[in-house]
Amino acid sequence: MSGIRRSFALRVAALSAALVVLVCGAGFGWAYFQVAGALRTQLDAAIATDAEGYLEDLENFGPQGFAASVAVAARRRGALVLLRTADGGRVAGALDGAPIGLRGFTTLRAPDGRDLRVLGAALPGGLELMVGADLAPVRRGAAALTGTLPVAGAVAALAALLLGFVVARRLELRLRAVSEAGQAVITGDLSRRLPLHGTGDEFDRLAGTMNAVLARVEALVEGLQSTTASVAHDLRSPLFRLRQQLEAAVARPREPEADTRTLEASLAELDGVLVTFSALLRIAQVEAGLTGAEFEVVDLSALAGAVVELYAAVAEDAGQRLDTSVTPGQRVRGDPALLRQAIANLIENALTHGGPAVRVEVAVRAAPGSGPTLQVSDTGPGIPTIEHGRVLERFYRLDRSRNTPGSGLGLALVAAVARLHGASLRLDDAAPGLSVTLTFPKPDAFPEI
Amino acid sequence: MRVLLIEDDTSTADYLAKGLREVGHVVEVARTGRDGLFLALNEGFDAIITDRMLPGPDGLSILRALRASGNRTPVLIVTALGEVDARVDGLDAGADDYLAKPFAFSELRARLDAMTRRAAATSEGEAAVLRVADLEMNLLRRIVRRAGQPIELLPTEFRLLEFMMRRPGQVLTRTMLLERVWDFNFDPTTNVVDVHVSRLRRKLDTGGPPLIRTLRGAGYVLGPG
Repeated sequence: MSGIRRSFALRVAALSAALVVLVCGAGFGWAYFQVAGALRTQLDAAIATDAEGYLEDLENFGPQGFAASVAVAARRRGALVLLRTADGGRVAGALDGAPIGLRGFTTLRAPDGRDLRVLGAALPGGLELMVGADLAPVRRGAAALTGTLPVAGAVAALAALLLGFVVARRLELRLRAVSEAGQAVITGDLSRRLPLHGTGDEFDRLAGTMNAVLARVEALVEGLQSTTASVAHDLRSPLFRLRQQLEAAVARPREPEADTRTLEASLAELDGVLVTFSALLRIAQVEAGLTGAEFEVVDLSALAGAVVELYAAVAEDAGQRLDTSVTPGQRVRGDPALLRQAIANLIENALTHGGPAVRVEVAVRAAPGSGPTLQVSDTGPGIPTIEHGRVLERFYRLDRSRNTPGSGLGLALVAAVARLHGASLRLDDAAPGLSVTLTFPKPDAFPEI
Repeated sequence: MRVLLIEDDTSTADYLAKGLREVGHVVEVARTGRDGLFLALNEGFDAIITDRMLPGPDGLSILRALRASGNRTPVLIVTALGEVDARVDGLDAGADDYLAKPFAFSELRARLDAMTRRAAATSEGEAAVLRVADLEMNLLRRIVRRAGQPIELLPTEFRLLEFMMRRPGQVLTRTMLLERVWDFNFDPTTNVVDVHVSRLRRKLDTGGPPLIRTLRGAGYVLGPG
């Protein structure tokens, strides 16, 4: 019983069948009464015609002939006709149970159990005429005419039961597929997706939305996993070095100068760990979209100009060059603090990895068909094309960069900031050197400011 | 200066209280948000340093309650949460400054000084000319002179110097300069601040004895040696 109550298919089937039975029942009753009513009207008309026939006899043949014709009709044809005096004295014919003084139509039950339709009329000379007909044929007719309805109703109810079951069953199966996929995701198979039938119906649209949600969840979990792996890998090593230093220092006899050196080295190591740690945290926040800041309209040109102004001096002191080619007034929707950091990271990367005489150019331009582009290119050694994808990953560093400062997180943060802003990030070989291009989405409908 | 420190972690609280006492402050320590709020509301302090996450009402709630009661004591929020959240939420709630854990004690000290001096200085009007020793900056005409000799500065150097001249004798950390002068809320891997300070220093010091001192491990101070 609880199985039936919990099966959507069975419930829907039973409900639709019950509905069909109810509608058919009501239809049957209504049709029966309509047909019976129509047939009775016909019967009444026939009775009235009969009565008129007798009255014509009265006019044509006088009271004697009339009485004789009534008697003949009653005897020979079995017609239900009665002629009697006003006080009930029978003159001719027979109609048992007809009430004395009846005028007009009535329905009555005869002593022999038949249901009759009777018309009573007063005749001149204190006589009254009762003409009747059996109602049984009318009832039989109505029943015959409407008798197919219960059968049709039963068939329809059966069909409804079947159809309801099939439709609901399919619904149930599709929902079960959703539910199973959900269960699979819960138990850890994050790559599981809902099946699409390609019909583009409500279910496909729902499944599509759910799949997008699942993809986002998978991406977030992957991010978390890779963060965990990165933390294990890149934070453990410096912490391990720190531990070794301190352990060795504790083991040897106290000696102020050496101790100071150890402590300073440990502090420096620890600071490095903290920098890496906060960079990781920042990337994780940006990737999860949890920066706490609302997007606003940002003048990308002005922002890039200010960052370049800050780094120009750094480049100049190191014998490098930092140039700009900025089209003024290029605006994007975004988080200025994150955009500033992304630009700074790109410039720092170019200056740090570009070599002593590198020339770096920061360009902000309008692009046809999209929002503005931001490009940072350098004339340094560049990155081999096969490595372009990997340098955007956390902690990935080219072998030759192992000994230059940096956490290996700069480009990963730029990639995360780009994703948050819906911007595409492209690395190109600038021959020689590397060029990184961020293409922002079209700034449709900026509120005027 | 009377400082209220609201911090639930015993070793951090002891370390900070000891450090603050060594530099001459009178420190009251509260271990829970409830005690902290009670002290803050009932006793006068020159500054309050509060952890963001506390048992009882948290740092932000304390801050809101204080500000709602009309108390304007400068508040520095110290937090182990990400810097971005701390900045947005803390400043929204009415904090004067925020600092992400972990931090160097010198950074806390510098920010505490800056915060309380700023609170004292807001009552003074905006001066059109700033003076430190024989250095003079005219903000309206954007001219800098040392001992009467004009000094040419780039816009970014002018902003940096203006920031420093408004806080003479005060320790300014690299992070403070990055945040306030260039709006950078992260630590760059290159020595951006040092480069700009040393350029500024070269331009200023041609006309006399050094004005900008470097405090190793802490930051910079502008003022006559």
